Amino acid sequence: MQEDSLAAVDTLTKAYSDQWAGSSGTEQAGAFIQFMSSNELIYVVLGVSLIIWLVLLFFLFRVDRKVSILEEQIQSKKEEV
Amino acid sequence: MKPWKYVVAVGMTIVISAGFLIHIPFIPILEQTARNIFFHVPMWMTMFSLFLISFWYSIKYLNDPKPEFDIKASSAASVGVAFGICGLLTGSLWARFTWGSWWTFAEPKMNLAALAMMIYVAYFVLRSAFDDREKRAKLAAVYNIFAVTTIPFLLYVVPRQLTSLHPGADGNPAFSEITAAELRYILYPAFVGFIALGFWIYDVVHRYKKVQFEVENS
Repeated sequence: MQEDSLAAVDTLTKAYSDQWAGSSGTEQAGAFIQFMSSNELIYVVLGVSLIIWLVLLFFLFRVDRKVSILEEQIQSKKEEV
Repeated sequence: MKPWKYVVAVGMTIVISAGFLIHIPFIPILEQTARNIFFHVPMWMTMFSLFLISFWYSIKYLNDPKPEFDIKASSAASVGVAFGICGLLTGSLWARFTWGSWWTFAEPKMNLAALAMMIYVAYFVLRSAFDDREKRAKLAAVYNIFAVTTIPFLLYVVPRQLTSLHPGADGNPAFSEITAAELRYILYPAFVGFIALGFWIYDVVHRYKKVQFEVENS
């Protein structure tokens, strides 16, 4: 078996790097860190998804408002004529 | 900004959070990916809704050739295709870890969904082939009416006659007994939320195109 093949790399039982501290030592950490570290870190995934969603939502709001401003400009030009 | 958009913003945030947070029953092989139902299935429902809007405005255009109707039909179709692509990509990722393959040609719904996307891509290719606005709008409207009639056959009628890896094959409705009640509390709000979100994006796109049209013709 090839030592450097992808299948030989164990990514399931060990962390990717020895230098990763992980979420250990959370007993002393604040309530937020403790909460985020619980339930196999699912809240971190939720956090990432919510960040993406809220940024996209903010963008959608901005574009919507910009189109509204253009519509008003066109409307006022029509009324002038 | 219309008030319903704030409702969608808040509602969708709740749906996404609840989709991650609720306790779901353990289903072998699916495990935590059962939560994907809250995100993958509404993509298709949103696509259907937008294609219906597109179909409606294509009919309206043929009755009364106002440029506005053509703009609305093409905007709804483009947002619908975007949601359909999201559905294909999320389905492919989900399939890798539950069915064991990114893509399988033994799965009719998957392949026919891809075919449906291609039929709509052809709609935009057809549109790009004309410089004359009225000619483009008329032919696009006729083609769009053909395109939408293929959707129920490609995604409902034919897949249910064949063996399929999707739940709901072999003549069973997909959401009858096999979807756990806990999942439905999020699934149905997710349908409403994503459809409303799709409608919002369509609203912005068609207003942008209308502004562009008015600037070009003034």
